[in-house]
Amino acid sequence: MNWDIIAENLGFYAQGAKLTVILTVVSLAISFVVAMPLALGRNSHNAFLRNAIALYTLVFRGTPLLVQLFLIYYGLAQFDLVRESLLWPWLSSALVCVILTFVLNTTAYTTEIFAGSLRHLPVGEIEAARAYGMSPFTRARRILLPAMLTRSLTLYGNETVMMLHATSLASTVTLLEVTGVARNIALNHYIMFEPYVTAAAIYLVLTLVLVLLFQFAQHRWAGYLQARL
Amino acid sequence: MTKLSTLFLGGFIALASLSPAIAEQVTIATDATFPPFESVDADGKLVGYDIDLMSAVCKAAELDCNIIAAAWEGMIPGLTAGKYDALISQLTVTDARRKIIAFSDIYSHPTFRFVAKKGADLDISPDGLAGKIVAVQTGTPMDAFVTKTFPKATIKRYDGGSAPYLELTAGRADLHMSYEAQITHAFLNGDNAEKFELVGPQYTGKDAPEFGEGVAIAINRRNADLLAKINAGLAKIRENGELAAIDAKYFGKN
Repeated sequence: MNWDIIAENLGFYAQGAKLTVILTVVSLAISFVVAMPLALGRNSHNAFLRNAIALYTLVFRGTPLLVQLFLIYYGLAQFDLVRESLLWPWLSSALVCVILTFVLNTTAYTTEIFAGSLRHLPVGEIEAARAYGMSPFTRARRILLPAMLTRSLTLYGNETVMMLHATSLASTVTLLEVTGVARNIALNHYIMFEPYVTAAAIYLVLTLVLVLLFQFAQHRWAGYLQARL
Repeated sequence: MTKLSTLFLGGFIALASLSPAIAEQVTIATDATFPPFESVDADGKLVGYDIDLMSAVCKAAELDCNIIAAAWEGMIPGLTAGKYDALISQLTVTDARRKIIAFSDIYSHPTFRFVAKKGADLDISPDGLAGKIVAVQTGTPMDAFVTKTFPKATIKRYDGGSAPYLELTAGRADLHMSYEAQITHAFLNGDNAEKFELVGPQYTGKDAPEFGEGVAIAINRRNADLLAKINAGLAKIRENGELAAIDAKYFGKN
């Protein structure tokens, strides 16, 4: 066993963990904000809006994340039109491409999770809101969104954990997050077990933090939904 | 003994008696992202200089070889773990690698070069490359060399041998360093020949220890028998002109 190599590279792992956390938090924060209106739109009376969002979630849930990442990072770069466009300074950056891909992907899943919870809302609650004369905006803000979010917590918690683990794909386009660091050590020191088991331990700790956060949120905001025996 | 355990035991004996026949086959791994040395053709078949050379060595040494494609990252760990019996992938012989794996006799002496966009007018020096983006394959001699020699450059590292070229053509990297033969034969053809060119000096193992002594086949250190057989095979194809024929086929030199 070569644990001294891991010990020498602990600082490298710390940088990797920082990038993993940044990728996860930024992707989740953007997708959370975007997915809320999309979930409302997914259940809209407007068939065009509803189907357009359904098509988007179908495409991004129906293709592997790695394929999406390669298409956006390597694929787009193949077109002169993209390379000469004003967006190129952004799209040439691996970090921007990775976050863009992650956001597009996780937003698709989150939208479906939120939209699903919305459909389970008792019709009575919405009718009551209408009877009170609430405008559509007030209805969304005070009734639909809070009810949707509390009902989504368990599933959404899973999605955040999946997103955290999916950040490991960023290493395929040169970003040195935790998996990238492990791979770099593996390639330079010809060992596999030690670098990857260290990476696994870091992911486990980060996952634990996420799980605890969601348990707290569940307790704090979704307690009223708990079945009492 | 119950019937079930008899059955299991019988199964194990049957398997055990089969394994010597399997063990005779030599599994050789290659990172098939490195044309013209090793790559996968349109039919999914492994092709290239190293593949031809290895097949010739196996034939000369009367070995039953099975050459398989593997990921670069897992090749050397896989060899030490016994997953593969040997590796052929333009592996340069370096002191660091000698500590963990055995090498056959050296079969070629590659030169290493930078490739960049034509007219980029780059000054290949530690200061001249300050802030420039250099793309290399991780864990290769080129990676070790640029990391040590050009600390002011931004070095981007890739898992495979082909991704750096994509980055160079996309304009995400200013330079890429690789085997000169790879650059000229697998990259600088067609459109790319007009847009890109070799830059800077020709490096060999004499210029920097990172480039190693030459290229050889890697073998598990515990397998002295296979090492001897492969060396004998190499000597044979060198003598009977097969090695020269492979050289000529790929690089047109004698």
